[in-house]
Amino acid sequence: MPRTAGGIEVEGTVVECLRNANFRVELANGHKVLAHISGKIRKNYIKILPEDRVLVELSPYDLTRGRIIFRYRN
Amino acid sequence: MHTSPFTISRVAGNQWHAIENDLVVGRGHATRRLDGRTFLSIDTWRDTVFNRLAAAMVADQPQYTVVDETDHDLLTNWVLAGFTTSRREAEFVVPTGPSRATVPSGVVITTADEAPLRELDQAIRDEVEAGAGWQTMPAEVLPWQGGTRPIDPSNYTVAVRDGRYVGLVRVATMTRRPRIGLVAVRAAEQRRGIARALLDHVLDGLHSWGFEAATAEVDETNTAALALFEGLGARRTGCSLELVRRPGQAA
Repeated sequence: MPRTAGGIEVEGTVVECLRNANFRVELANGHKVLAHISGKIRKNYIKILPEDRVLVELSPYDLTRGRIIFRYRN
Repeated sequence: MHTSPFTISRVAGNQWHAIENDLVVGRGHATRRLDGRTFLSIDTWRDTVFNRLAAAMVADQPQYTVVDETDHDLLTNWVLAGFTTSRREAEFVVPTGPSRATVPSGVVITTADEAPLRELDQAIRDEVEAGAGWQTMPAEVLPWQGGTRPIDPSNYTVAVRDGRYVGLVRVATMTRRPRIGLVAVRAAEQRRGIARALLDHVLDGLHSWGFEAATAEVDETNTAALALFEGLGARRTGCSLELVRRPGQAA
């Protein structure tokens, strides 16, 4: 089975909702990344709020950017 | 710069992958909702991959997707794929608080029982069909394609006049911020303050349970609903666009 490019998925906490449908997410290692919502989350009208715990897939091209692919139930 | 070729592969009936050097570099997903509509999503870091996935996912039935109004890059990609805006939904955060509205004379706001709630639900659907039409309605009101529509009365608060249900509000409280999913009043009972009283009642209840705010989405063409929420002090936080591509629509 093919692997996901990049493939780096890390847990983090949303610290800020920004303009342009972006979020500032603090990762478990303390780094902060700029993340947008995955299409599957958006399609299901899942709302992301500050303090939500999320799973972020980091961009293989820019490790300061990511995509929120899952929101945990707090 | 990406010069190596990638291929698009349909890996399941509703899933597509873009594969390059044995790596998945993009994913497309189609979800058929219980209202019968198919919603698409594509996740990739590259526009060229997005465009190829979108082209591979074309179907001979209308397809929908949802985009944040301010996400210009994604919106551009869907437009290039032949999608156009079919609906705009303003997103609101509604503050909770002690009840302030007066319940209209002769109306009682109370919890719901399933049988009369189903009757009201069906009556409102019949009125929608005879009036504004299904195409303007959110997923919550669109015709149900999967047999008997599940209704959980515990999520509803209703307005009752002379023993008959005349209005309802549905609130989901599964997440940290409750969502007002549906507000509806029988056509003959509209413009009498019933919707306001229903919302005021549930916002009062949420406040007493410790919730500071709820969320709601309102069709931007529904001026009455916009005025209702703005009158409750709701703050606009964004706008979602529902896009559609119809068969034969050029990509």
